[in-house]
Amino acid sequence: MPEIKVTPLGAGQDVGRSCILVSIGGKNIMLDCGMHMGFNDDRRFPDFSYITQQGRLTEFLDCVIISHFHLDHCGALPYMSEMVGYDGPIYMTHPTKAICPILLEDFRKITVDKKGETNFFTSQMIKDCMKKVVPLNLHQTVQVDDELEIKAYYAGHVLGAAMVQIKVGSESVVYTGDYNMTPDRHLGAAWIDKCRPDILISESTYATTIRDSKRCRERDFLKKVHETVERGGKVLIPVFALGRAQELCILLETFWERMNMKAPIYFSTGLTEKANHYYKLFITWTNQKIRKTFVQRNMFEFKHIKAFDRSYADNPGPMVVFATPGMLHAGQSLQIFKKWAGNEKNMIIMPGYCVQGTIGHKILNGQKKLEMENRQTLEVKLQVEYMSFSAHADAKGIMQLIRMAEPRNMLLVHGEAKKMEFLKDKIEQEFTINCFMPANGETTTVITNPSVPVDISLNLLKREMALGGPLPDPKKPRTMHGTLIMKENSLRLVSPEQALKELGLNEHQLRFTCRVQLQDPHSDPDTLSRIYTHLKSVLKGYTIQHLPDGTVMVESIVIKVSSSAEEPNTKVLLLSWSYQDEDLGSFLSTLLKKGLPSGLSSM
Amino acid sequence: MDVFASLFMFWLVDMAHFDCMHITESCSDLHSNPLGGNTAAYLLLIKYWRRYRSCLAVDEMGETSSVENEFDDWFIESLKIYNNIHEYQLEHPTRVIEWTSEKTICVAGYSSDKNEILELLLPLKLFADDNQGLCAERDFKVVHGGFSDGSIHCLKHIPGTRCVVTNDGFNSNLQVWDLGGDDCDVIKRTGVLQRKSASSDKGVKIAPGLTGGPCVLHGSQISDIQLTELASGKPLYSLGKDIPDVLSSLQFVSDSVFLACACNGDLYVVDTRKPSALQNNPVGGREGVNWCMGVKTDLYSSDPSSCSVARLSSACQVVVSDLRDLRAPLCQAQLHVQRKTTSDDFMKVTWAPALDNCLAVSGFDGMVHIYDTASWRPELMEFQPLFIHRGHMMSDNEFDTSSAVVTTHVWHPSRPRTVLSAAVDGSVHVWDWVDKATASC
Repeated sequence: MPEIKVTPLGAGQDVGRSCILVSIGGKNIMLDCGMHMGFNDDRRFPDFSYITQQGRLTEFLDCVIISHFHLDHCGALPYMSEMVGYDGPIYMTHPTKAICPILLEDFRKITVDKKGETNFFTSQMIKDCMKKVVPLNLHQTVQVDDELEIKAYYAGHVLGAAMVQIKVGSESVVYTGDYNMTPDRHLGAAWIDKCRPDILISESTYATTIRDSKRCRERDFLKKVHETVERGGKVLIPVFALGRAQELCILLETFWERMNMKAPIYFSTGLTEKANHYYKLFITWTNQKIRKTFVQRNMFEFKHIKAFDRSYADNPGPMVVFATPGMLHAGQSLQIFKKWAGNEKNMIIMPGYCVQGTIGHKILNGQKKLEMENRQTLEVKLQVEYMSFSAHADAKGIMQLIRMAEPRNMLLVHGEAKKMEFLKDKIEQEFTINCFMPANGETTTVITNPSVPVDISLNLLKREMALGGPLPDPKKPRTMHGTLIMKENSLRLVSPEQALKELGLNEHQLRFTCRVQLQDPHSDPDTLSRIYTHLKSVLKGYTIQHLPDGTVMVESIVIKVSSSAEEPNTKVLLLSWSYQDEDLGSFLSTLLKKGLPSGLSSM
Repeated sequence: MDVFASLFMFWLVDMAHFDCMHITESCSDLHSNPLGGNTAAYLLLIKYWRRYRSCLAVDEMGETSSVENEFDDWFIESLKIYNNIHEYQLEHPTRVIEWTSEKTICVAGYSSDKNEILELLLPLKLFADDNQGLCAERDFKVVHGGFSDGSIHCLKHIPGTRCVVTNDGFNSNLQVWDLGGDDCDVIKRTGVLQRKSASSDKGVKIAPGLTGGPCVLHGSQISDIQLTELASGKPLYSLGKDIPDVLSSLQFVSDSVFLACACNGDLYVVDTRKPSALQNNPVGGREGVNWCMGVKTDLYSSDPSSCSVARLSSACQVVVSDLRDLRAPLCQAQLHVQRKTTSDDFMKVTWAPALDNCLAVSGFDGMVHIYDTASWRPELMEFQPLFIHRGHMMSDNEFDTSSAVVTTHVWHPSRPRTVLSAAVDGSVHVWDWVDKATASC
């Protein structure tokens, strides 16, 4: 039976390491290659030894697909391709391809330069790895090889996030990556057509949550900024150049306009240009509103938000500054933080996750005294706020997506062994499909029933109809005889005669012969007549002939009688029938083995 | 429906010739219901129109439409009037919100078909008192869930257990559910308490017993109120008086004394230790008006006479009395509410557990009103609310928010101004408002 196998090597949680192996139609695909941000040892990368104990991965994988640029989905990529070894194609969307190396390099710097770790991938490795990347467009079917094709759908999680459909023949799998079903200020909602995949693979981290609305998250953000500015404080928002920063800028811009606010808002130098550049490049990936207005008015050119100069940090009075990098590990955001940290009127808003060992991570854990370079300590008096703006589908969103794609099986990856019986029951009851929840390293096998279309010749159908029997009923399968011809990628069922004719073959006859010994004290011709009479009485409705050449024919079955001179009473019956008459032939041989009844006349 | 849809399309084409201002005007025309009595079609038309209007809002970018304005106005206003507000969207609307522990609530669907019961863990942010800013977790978590074949109109948690008791609103049977522990996330039905003498098909009201073994007080009329032991199904007490008035609210105020409010406004005080002790206190209201009650019990005091009772009528009147003398109202008020529904199904009045003299009223429209009864007087007067939660009418999903009705609300047991409310569109809001008195000083 054809089957699809799915093995998660890691997934779950915000900081998890998503990596899923799929075997479909003889092809092996790796979906995402993420890193676990909470670990410093081997556990931070997926367990690639599951694929092979030694050597490179190239021969075991047909392709690698990355859903989006978050490190928990792509962080282990250079390690896998350059250190473990993989030379096959890596697929990701254009925005992911552009942003992914920047993030990887950032992360490498923190790990190697700040924490002094060795045995980590180098800048060159990131570059080499990115050379293996093949870009994907939305809704474009990409042929990986003759049989394997992939197609990307919009996932709405971050710029460039995609869901992928993997197809071999009529079997298919959809992997969602992280997705979002409600549009926000700069991204649209995830969408997929009714592609009815054999398996829909999704993460279950958010499957048991009911999300607070985006509006309330934004409201909280504005409230915090507003309050601080009102009391004359300064607000620092460390951001990564792309992603949520743009969303927050659009939000603040709108709010400033409406409330007629005067406090200046600054954006780190270079940040706006860089962001604008990317958003211009990838305008098709933003939501409808931004796309539509882009021609008349660029949503990323702001009236209230101006470029930042390092001297502004010492200016008196309230201000709001967006600065990179997002985790406060270096650069402008760290410099500003050092200047402002001592004043309790100020505030820092961390809009995202921070890697262990960074200042961002420390202050989010409530640390009030930070050790800086030169053994100096920095007292954190300013207000620290953590706000998550990540856009994930929740319990309702997952149900919406299942409704959209109509999969035949659902697979939820959870990472840790958590009880999710209710969710499983809910999905199975509502959609009458199977729902699987494999743990990391556990393989789920799904038997697929790919339908094989066959053309049937009209003659054969007519013949079948002529044979009578009940009219076709879609609920009751009916056996039908014919010859299957597989030629030029098509399957046809035709009558045997036509098949022979088409293929220029001679018909071969397959005959069975069988000897039956019989004690009968009569002459050979008499024995034959006795057999004729016997069969005539037993087999009513069959054509039975006694031929002058000393044979009896029952339909096409030939019966002859012979005996040896030494034992004239021991008759040897020779039966011969063709393959088509196998049923009748074996019946006759069994019948004759029982001998002839005594009261038979020889006529 | 199709006829109306095409009619509507035709009308849309017509509308397209007007500018935005015209459309806003015809909106008010539309609200006078040009289709006469056909409310369903009218609502459909409004819904289509709203969608069409929101399309316009997207199309004519730059010029903000009135929908967006109304929306933004409330958004900006909300910054000032709420300390916190969280908005959630359930898959299916609920008309019950019941606390099952300090941090968990139960909600359940009330559709006629299959329904879900969910136990939700409140967002951690609501509990992080010291370092609220460092806690980013603001989502509900579904910790347990189960399926019910029937609708769930009433759901009560039995204190000290993992049990909830529900009723479908159509018969007098009670379903008993086990919410499950840490090892399993499934809510299972463990039993049914069947009433032999089913006197009504209206559904029953439920109140958990306060002491002794797990038991539940239930009934559909005053006459058939019964206290049943949960484990055995054995009746511990039954009222047995021939009073066929339909029951609207039921609550224990001490170990043995409970209050029962009839739909006609009569309030009964019953002591289960003294079967004959029954006190009837009519509210003296008008005919054809439905009443329900909210009771404020002081858990630290064993004296039931200290508790206040508020009775709410479908004519938007509240009568407050206390157990010392239920006949004479302590104070009363005519509420300033414009009814949007004809049904009295969702009417609810509750006392704030951690705030003096405050009560919340919902069920007439898409709002939750908070009143301070301190200024109310014994004679009937109209009073303005202390605070109005309009959030359920400002939802940004496709649902026609003008017809939103709040189905239920509950107070947070310890946070003084935190309320949870739900509406017919499946929205659930958790909000705590800014107290103007303390904010200004």
